[in-house]
Amino acid sequence: MNIRRMGVLFSKEFLYGSRSYIFVFSIVGPIIISIIISLIFGTWLVEKPELGIMDEGRSQLVSMFDGIDSMDNTEYNTITEMREAVETGAVDIGIVIPSDFDDSVLKGEKTEIKAFIWGESTAKNRGIIGVTIANTVRELAGQEAPVEIETITLGESVSIPWNDRLLPLIVLMAIFLGGIMLPSTSIAMEKEKRTIRALMVTPVSIEEIFLAKGIFGFILSFFMGILILVINKAFGTQPLLLTAVLALGAVMAAELGTLLGVYVKDFATIFTIWKSAGIILFAPAIFYMFPRIPEWVGRIFPTFYITQPIVELSQKSGGWTDIATNTFILIAIDIALIFILLFTLRRKQYTAVS
Amino acid sequence: MNIHIIGILISKDLSLFFRKRAILILTLMGFIFYLIIYFVMTVSVDENLEIGLYSPVSLPIFSQIEEEGFEISNVESEELLKEAVLDGSYVVGISIPADVTEKLGSKQKPVISLYFTPDTPQELKDAMEIVVRELAFMQTGQPLAFEVSEEILGQDLTGTPIPPRDRLRPLLAIFILMMEILGLSNLISEEIERHTARALLVTPATVTDIFIAKSIFGIGLAFIQAVLIMTIIGGMNTQPLIVLISLLLGAALATGVSFFISARARDFMSVLAWSLPVLIILIIPSFTIMFPGSVTGWIKVIPTYYLVDTVHRAVNFGSGWGDIWINLLILFGFTVVIFYAGLYMLRRKFR
Repeated sequence: MNIRRMGVLFSKEFLYGSRSYIFVFSIVGPIIISIIISLIFGTWLVEKPELGIMDEGRSQLVSMFDGIDSMDNTEYNTITEMREAVETGAVDIGIVIPSDFDDSVLKGEKTEIKAFIWGESTAKNRGIIGVTIANTVRELAGQEAPVEIETITLGESVSIPWNDRLLPLIVLMAIFLGGIMLPSTSIAMEKEKRTIRALMVTPVSIEEIFLAKGIFGFILSFFMGILILVINKAFGTQPLLLTAVLALGAVMAAELGTLLGVYVKDFATIFTIWKSAGIILFAPAIFYMFPRIPEWVGRIFPTFYITQPIVELSQKSGGWTDIATNTFILIAIDIALIFILLFTLRRKQYTAVS
Repeated sequence: MNIHIIGILISKDLSLFFRKRAILILTLMGFIFYLIIYFVMTVSVDENLEIGLYSPVSLPIFSQIEEEGFEISNVESEELLKEAVLDGSYVVGISIPADVTEKLGSKQKPVISLYFTPDTPQELKDAMEIVVRELAFMQTGQPLAFEVSEEILGQDLTGTPIPPRDRLRPLLAIFILMMEILGLSNLISEEIERHTARALLVTPATVTDIFIAKSIFGIGLAFIQAVLIMTIIGGMNTQPLIVLISLLLGAALATGVSFFISARARDFMSVLAWSLPVLIILIIPSFTIMFPGSVTGWIKVIPTYYLVDTVHRAVNFGSGWGDIWINLLILFGFTVVIFYAGLYMLRRKFR
């Protein structure tokens, strides 16, 4: 294998492959699906109430607000800056805390907070911010709550929101759409246009040609996996580990795409295979949508070993110990696919030039 | 200038446009996709938090709360309260114990139960705890040590909030207009690269005729689509004249930009390559309507800000000429400059 030749082949792949409809579709498709799901299930539109604070003194209220989970808060240096934030809707309510506020509260003297309210802010956001401010000031004044509160969750102990259930499917789609379609269609096109024969009379080997296409598929697949997790804010607490799993998944996708390219001669066959056999790739994600289906059923499918680590790391705050076994199985599948690919390539080499 | 020749040139462009399958499919798919997005978006906004209350004793503050954003309904039994929470009628069920008055009177702390469904977000649970605590403070007559002076900035929409679906209207209009840049740029660049533009010049058509035809075709195509989508999604119900003028200026702006791109691009792929960054920049202002406060004042340097803002204010707030004339004036200025600059670039390419 010659690195320089590989570089030439890869740059050709990058230059012409990035102009194909499949490339555009592999990028646009998962993004659009992800956006639609986010819009339907509301992760984008459900936001916490936002409070803007301009502290004229050094009120303890500011740090007390930081520890409250029911709303987000942002501190501003000037009233003008905060007013502008309220006008644009960056915050629902902006309050000005006067310099002697804490002293007055502690002495039980009446004082005043100036509040700017964004006209388009919803009543519930205004209500939540209002009572939160009142409650925090009472805390500052040392007033003790006259009641104790007990929180009880009804029904099933765990309920997975639909946007979380659909995330594995979107991630798998992002990884496999580009990873499989790009190398396979590129190889099929070379076969259809017979340019693969032209390449075979140059010093490049068949392995180098297929590897260059596979690497391009891997890069797109890996990039799309990361992008979809970023869009869905699902990087969890172990981003490096998650990135490594995505890379292993992208390797599998590119290998399957290249393998498909070895056997398939035209676009139509690739699309038929994609339509009929795609279910095998996405089956584990479907099982995640319906948690009552036993997990062992999912283990039959190779993509389970990508899906489980991704779900564990991105949604369940899991660590290496939770994914180690399945990740090793994933590595084993990747290695096995490389050998299968090399074996089939050697068998097919003659037919490629004939 | 010959009106007959211009008419022929426009019909030629129309047939060429519909012959390019990729562009036609993109246009149709885009149109359908925008409508799907619009119709799947929620039509209403949950203005208030609906709270269920079971209280065997009378607690006036709890049952007659006047705090903005909370709507408390009394429920007859604890079991009914739990059922109502589970079926989604209330975001929280508050259950007051029977001995609450005695305990409060003897300075003991009664335990109030809050019922939630498993998928209630933690921040909402925290917020409800704060609300109940505050109600208890009020019930026991503990005064607040401060007062609030309020100032509403912008139009107060309490009671009539803008649903997410309606916020989408300006975004869809601008998407349709700007996507037309792709189609028109491709059409013109192909004509230049295939030298059919030169062939036209040996006919009685003059350069002026060709450019007038291209301008009418480009503006018309973008404008008709934008008007069509705005009509379907109800964007023409308020201030239709202002919306129409804004869309017309937007269509002219898109045509000017496509003249620029077609002067640079050589084929469909280079049209895509040039168009995408331009489209992304021009579409950014529409996100300020969807996600208020997401961008700062720099957005006003992008010409489409004035289009989006005008459409949003006219469609969602019913703003009249007095409120938006400055926006329209700035948009007109930007459009004239971009349109003539695009035309100049294209003329140079024709020569």
